[in-house]
Amino acid sequence: MAFAIAESTWLFPLIEGTHILALPLSVGMIVIVDLRLLGLAFQSGPASRIMKGVVRWSTPGFVVMFITGGILFMTHAGEAYGNTFFRTKLILLLLLGINAGVYQTIFYPKMAQWDLARSTPVGAKLCAGLSLIAWVSVIVCGRTMAYQL
Amino acid sequence: MSPLVSLVRWCSTLAPIVFVRDSRYGMPAVQSVHLVGITVFLAAIVVLDARLAGVGMMDESLLWLERQLTPWAAGAATLVMLSGILIFLGTPSKYAHSNPFRIKMAVLGLAIAFHFGVFRRFVSADHGSHSRRGQVVVAGLSLTLWFLVGWAGRAIAFVP
Repeated sequence: MAFAIAESTWLFPLIEGTHILALPLSVGMIVIVDLRLLGLAFQSGPASRIMKGVVRWSTPGFVVMFITGGILFMTHAGEAYGNTFFRTKLILLLLLGINAGVYQTIFYPKMAQWDLARSTPVGAKLCAGLSLIAWVSVIVCGRTMAYQL
Repeated sequence: MSPLVSLVRWCSTLAPIVFVRDSRYGMPAVQSVHLVGITVFLAAIVVLDARLAGVGMMDESLLWLERQLTPWAAGAATLVMLSGILIFLGTPSKYAHSNPFRIKMAVLGLAIAFHFGVFRRFVSADHGSHSRRGQVVVAGLSLTLWFLVGWAGRAIAFVP
């Protein structure tokens, strides 16, 4: 199947295009949450409400991302596996997963306490800052590896 | 040769443009900036369109969302345009002869005109002065136009 997709004239561009254009729905939504937690936007709105509204869209966005990303990997598995940017991207995704897990267990349950406050706890800000930097790096790695395969 | 073509040709020989085009990570870096900007800009558009259509972020007012997102959307759009110009000037002839690029620029013009001519008016008139159906149509058109720009951009790599 992977070979058929790699050689198809329109299927590969379609899957790659979907992978790229699902970025605003997945990563873009997380960026919005990060900006709220960092105090860079949406200050007058409760953080948990912004988060809830945005995560509803990012969940299907990430499902599309992982499915299309998995297919794209299969079409170029050999070259991608050894690629430094691909490996960096995967490590960053793993760190982002851990970062999100830390936020969910430590800061999310207590969000009601500081929901309306203009400033969020330092730890939550740290998670948001790391998330922002790592997601931008994931995009950079993904875009750069496409030049090398 | 028209003055515009001469100007573009001259620009494409400038040292910074040549450096970006010919260095190993120049183009990937500029393309990455383009893509990060697109991600942030389209995320803002998706949120506003969803709210306008009444399918998301219903706890917030549309006008408030628009005010909060506009600085980030405008900043992102600026990054996208500047990086886009750099990408274009690297190899102007590749883009000038590309059909998807021409379509992308035409749809981009339409999207910008629709954004300022129609979309923003609907956003400012938040309090029910437009019919629900009208809001859904405007949100759908906005989303369609902006994502078409993206798809046409993607097609440049695959279609002559």
